[in-house]
Amino acid sequence: MAPPYTPTVLQIRLHRLRTPAGLLLHDLELDVPGGAVHTVMGASGAGKSSLLACVCGTLDDGLQFDGTVHLHGQRIDTLSTHQRRVGLLLQDDLLFAHLSVLENLLFAVPAGPKAERQALALAALAEVELACYADANPATLSGGQRSRVALARALLARPLALMLDEPFAKLDTPLRQRMRELLFGAVAARDIAAILVTHDAADVADMQRLTQLS
Amino acid sequence: MSPSVVTLARKHPAALLLAAAVVLPLLWSLAAAAAAGLDAPAWAALAAQPQTGPALWLSLYTGLAASALALAGAALLLAHSFGTPRWTRLLGRLPAMLALPHAAFAIGLLLLISPSGWLVRTGVALVSPLNAWLGLGLPLDAPPAWQSTQDPWGLGLIAVLALKEIPFLLWTAAAQLQRPDVARRLELELRLAQSLGYSARSAWWRVAWPQLLARLQAPVLAVLAYSLTVVDVALLAGPSTPPTLAVLAWQWLQDADPARNAIGAAAAWLLAAVVAALALAGLLAQRYGRGWAADHWTRGIAPSKTIGKGLGGWACGALPLAYAAVAAALALGSVIGVWPFPDLWPQVWTRQAWHAVADSVPVVGATLALALTSSAGALLWAVAWLECAPPAWQRRLQGLMYLPLLLPSLLWSLGLHRLALAWGLDGDIKGLWLAHTLCVLPYVLLSLQGPYGGFDARLQAVAASLGHTRWVFVWRIKWPLMRAALAASFAVGFAVSVAQYLPTLYVGAGRFSTATTQAVALASGGQRSLMAAFAALQWLLPALVFGLAAWAGRERRFAPPDTGTARAATPGEELSHTLH
Repeated sequence: MAPPYTPTVLQIRLHRLRTPAGLLLHDLELDVPGGAVHTVMGASGAGKSSLLACVCGTLDDGLQFDGTVHLHGQRIDTLSTHQRRVGLLLQDDLLFAHLSVLENLLFAVPAGPKAERQALALAALAEVELACYADANPATLSGGQRSRVALARALLARPLALMLDEPFAKLDTPLRQRMRELLFGAVAARDIAAILVTHDAADVADMQRLTQLS
Repeated sequence: MSPSVVTLARKHPAALLLAAAVVLPLLWSLAAAAAAGLDAPAWAALAAQPQTGPALWLSLYTGLAASALALAGAALLLAHSFGTPRWTRLLGRLPAMLALPHAAFAIGLLLLISPSGWLVRTGVALVSPLNAWLGLGLPLDAPPAWQSTQDPWGLGLIAVLALKEIPFLLWTAAAQLQRPDVARRLELELRLAQSLGYSARSAWWRVAWPQLLARLQAPVLAVLAYSLTVVDVALLAGPSTPPTLAVLAWQWLQDADPARNAIGAAAAWLLAAVVAALALAGLLAQRYGRGWAADHWTRGIAPSKTIGKGLGGWACGALPLAYAAVAAALALGSVIGVWPFPDLWPQVWTRQAWHAVADSVPVVGATLALALTSSAGALLWAVAWLECAPPAWQRRLQGLMYLPLLLPSLLWSLGLHRLALAWGLDGDIKGLWLAHTLCVLPYVLLSLQGPYGGFDARLQAVAASLGHTRWVFVWRIKWPLMRAALAASFAVGFAVSVAQYLPTLYVGAGRFSTATTQAVALASGGQRSLMAAFAALQWLLPALVFGLAAWAGRERRFAPPDTGTARAATPGEELSHTLH
């Protein structure tokens, strides 16, 4: 049965994606509505991460993207990464090592009165059940805790779309389940259009929204 | 202007300006030095000089021996310390060893090993009671007649150079080994080799060292070039009849007669040619010796040798100890008054030398001003270059940037002098600043390239995805994360500037004295304590800056979690969150 109609938030029209070695992807169309997680699977080197990089604007030098990306009707592939409002979560949490947990979150909160920003960051920390770690060194947190901080940080920037590049790959099975719940819940609650790259079929949120790259 | 340059200027204007700011004076200096060598009669006169052959031979074998010993020493220390707490301790001591300039080290070592130095006096103090008791009649009331410094075989020079270059090679190796990508991969490969049955040390020599050595080609060549062509250390610790070819060339270049100047320039070029020939020989040996080396690395597991193990462990402690002894000799030597032989300690201690140093405000001021401004200038340039220049430009210009490290210092100083003359900066502080900055730049660039190359580029993508521009990322994330590397690079630049001898003499035209020029000048006189005081100053200033750099780059201390029970959760605990 086809999923109920929901307006497309993220629209990708990829004609060609070239690497110096040749054509990596071609003729790919993705429409992701708000609150949905579209999963992309495929063998290593199939171009999954490069597809996400096209949306984020973080393609490596030498890769050429021919196509368009629209977010809420606005064309974003011509914008700089920081102007796109596309969040990014990777396999590694990439917390900034010189900042405390709270400061990592504050880095993502848009400019405004200090007290408000602080309150937003603390609320986000509480939401991922890490309120008591506000001043902690990120390096002292466990892998699961760090993943949750990275998720909170990505969400605090109020992204309209979220690119998830194997964010559960380094977590054990119970933690994967926990992170999936947190992440998919946050995406649905905030009406974010998300694309998830994974090798694990258990990560697929919706079988109707699955693209297999060959 | 050609269209391609216009296009480049439009695309990367800042990088083009930065490149021009360094490439122009660099190429000018090189061209000027090259022009000085294009004098056929000078080459003929150089060949006819009776001293040329012996001096060249002396330079060749002292330079090669010192470089080989330095490389062997660094390799031994690495093999016996990498991956152990010893390596961390050694890394912690490296800044203090690097801060000690070559000339100061040579002076300190002379105070220790000269016939009337501390080592002989200590020996006499130990032997004297035995001599009296057994009635051996050994003549212990006068310094021995042997030459332990400025010996005709150049052994003192080899010892100074080898000991001084080991920390430099360790530092360049550390820059590679501290890159997160390299370090992680090497650690995993070492573990894998051990899982195949190799001992930790055997795994190091067969797996890690070949890979590291390939990355150390340029530093090893720099050590060879320096050892073959150094002037100030050879003046202090090298033989004098004949001296090394670099010293001979320097003496000819100092001559008022232009014809002898030209012979000096030709001698400097001859040294450059020797360095180039040795570099080529090294490359050929690497290319054609690969099969033999690979055969050695893959010939299977052999029982570990305990002799090397003991030697390496001993060397890890001995190197810092030697530096500590030299530093102590400088410190004590600077307050020596009357000190008849064979007394172990002086009869009179005096602070006269330090009063003289304190009164030498222009010397201290020039040393500090030049070191601070040139290292700051080089650091700003290097950071701007690494941030702005496209990687392809960085690769293409890398060889040129490092050329001052590989060229004989004499030739390089000659080029800088000609540049200063042409630009009207001869004997001017601005010219001296430019010369010091160009000398400091390759070291600063070298020390920053590792941390820059190893910086995780994904952090920028994450910051951009959070809505921040590149400059916000650089200012708030990248530079704070790299502050230890930035501070250390500044300190390295500072130490290099303080140690400059020839560029200060040539470009300063004798109008500016620094701690180094003073110490070397005093070495030929009889004022031992004053010489030691200036040499100690040469070390204290960089040591202070290295200390400040270590403080500025120290790791941040975070507050502990604000509940008594909060700590990193175990997977089991995190599972409980799931059931929450």
